[in-house]
Amino acid sequence: MNRKRKHVKAKCSDERTRVAAISAGLWKFATKKRTTGVALIILLLLLVIAAIGPWISPYDADELRVTDRLQGPNRTHLLGTDHFGRDVLSRALSGTRITLLLGVSISAFALCVGLPLGMLAGFFDRFGLIVMRVVDALMAFPAIILALALMAIFGKPGIANVILAVGLVWAPRMVRVVYSATLTLRESMFVEAARALGVSTFRILLRHIAINLISPVIVQATFTFAFSIMEVAALNFLGVGIPPHVASWGGMMNEGRTYIIRAPWIILFPGLFLATAVLSFNLVGDALRDRLDPKLRRVV
Amino acid sequence: MLTFVLRRGFGLLVSTFLVITITFLLMQMIPGDPAAVMLGANATPEQIELLRESWGLNEPIYVQFAHYLANFLRGNFGESLFHHKPVLGIIAQRAEVSIWLSAAALLVVVGLGIPSGVLAAIRPNGLTDNTMLLVALGGASIPSFWLGLMLMTLFAGRLGWLPSSGFTSILETGDLANLKNLILPAFSLGFVNAALVARTTRSSMLDVLQSDYITTARAKGLRGWTVIMKHAFRNASIPIVTVISFTFASLVSGAVVTENVFALPGIGSLIVQSVLKRDYPVIQGIMFIVAILYVVINFVTDLSYASLDPRIRYRR
Repeated sequence: MNRKRKHVKAKCSDERTRVAAISAGLWKFATKKRTTGVALIILLLLLVIAAIGPWISPYDADELRVTDRLQGPNRTHLLGTDHFGRDVLSRALSGTRITLLLGVSISAFALCVGLPLGMLAGFFDRFGLIVMRVVDALMAFPAIILALALMAIFGKPGIANVILAVGLVWAPRMVRVVYSATLTLRESMFVEAARALGVSTFRILLRHIAINLISPVIVQATFTFAFSIMEVAALNFLGVGIPPHVASWGGMMNEGRTYIIRAPWIILFPGLFLATAVLSFNLVGDALRDRLDPKLRRVV
Repeated sequence: MLTFVLRRGFGLLVSTFLVITITFLLMQMIPGDPAAVMLGANATPEQIELLRESWGLNEPIYVQFAHYLANFLRGNFGESLFHHKPVLGIIAQRAEVSIWLSAAALLVVVGLGIPSGVLAAIRPNGLTDNTMLLVALGGASIPSFWLGLMLMTLFAGRLGWLPSSGFTSILETGDLANLKNLILPAFSLGFVNAALVARTTRSSMLDVLQSDYITTARAKGLRGWTVIMKHAFRNASIPIVTVISFTFASLVSGAVVTENVFALPGIGSLIVQSVLKRDYPVIQGIMFIVAILYVVINFVTDLSYASLDPRIRYRR
């Protein structure tokens, strides 16, 4: 009984030191460079906006108020109104949720495709030769052109289609990062040791390689997020992304084009939201890369 | 060198084949019957069947692929579903603006990116360096279409200095003044990529500036700028050339949206119109041409390294 309690206690304190170590590491990461700290705060803010947006936004994002149309920023409408009299701030806040949702889904998609495929390609030479040839060929298509073609093939604008189209564009890039990291890991001493001990290939991939791929994959996922939300905005701006009635930053900019001279704020503010989000993701990605694996600079 | 060229040449052929295969497979993914899509809602089943027969859609897929491959190699990309003209002709008509725009944007990339990178590397962590870093980071995070729209508001709308949109062919009219229409688009497209080139130039220059031969050059009393331009920059240029060749893909991507912002009748606006109208043969043609251009540019870049740096030839 006593021994058991001791064991539990030891485990708890173990856990506690681990948690403490992780939080100390996180704190150091956030405070080491001022820019990283600011970027993290902005990201946190965007997350909060995405979570509680509808409750804090001053108006309903889709409510039409024709009498208020094309008003410049003022006290009742902080960022002005668009050609239907919809509040630009409320719409931009509402766009945050869809943007983050799409960014996360696209990164997750690229990860789910890229991690297993890149790992297998890096581990098995013949398979790798074929996969990497296809990946190279896919990467010969500029991102937006491939995404546009995929949207045309899928038929209708829609959230799932955008995730699939942009995800398929970014998955090959993830495959490439995982592939080159796996190639290095494969030759490492601990994999050789595991092999000598007779550990099965599946277990080596899972317990020895996949675990060590976490840092490059996280870094690449951050960049995928930043690039994909930019691409999604471009698709929405071109009118082939998510349906136009859903408030999105790219869609707002598209709708504001006709009134660009009279009411530039319709375009200015969603663009600022987008640029801020992309910038903070890039900053956090850079910092993560430096922190987790400085050698990665050459790979990515 | 010959083995190197042959090996890379073989790689080029494989990539081309894969690009053709991918475009073919993508078009196979289109839901529904292409013949029915082409003929519209009022077509009778007999008409659809006739068209399927004439397009060879009833053949097995590998026979279709062989036909497709043969047609592509002959430069026959099919006919647009809307313009009823050969795809290649339509693309060729639109190519002029896109070529002018890319060239002008490249000029902005090189003209802005390299000097600012060199200046930043001369005094690392100085005021210029930090400002450049901030601008470069911002530049990489700003969507080029948004920058284009904002520049348009300011310079075409408020100040009225430059035209906001449109373009007339220079080859047809011979009027070089039309290039004025490309200033804003080229800047908004180039600025974003210039940021990347500036960062690469900076780090590459910093690497070189620390080497011994630079110290020697300084020690023998050469002037600062001579050392920087003649000794350092020349040796720092290989990574810079790489990045500039990489910017091609990003310029093409950016051009798709920029052409739409400034209503330029180029390939970028053609693909968007084709996507909105589901004009699949045109989409396919553009995808193919752009991808092949990319593959060829990579090939040429590879060869240029090998001639610049002999060590590369012997590596795998």
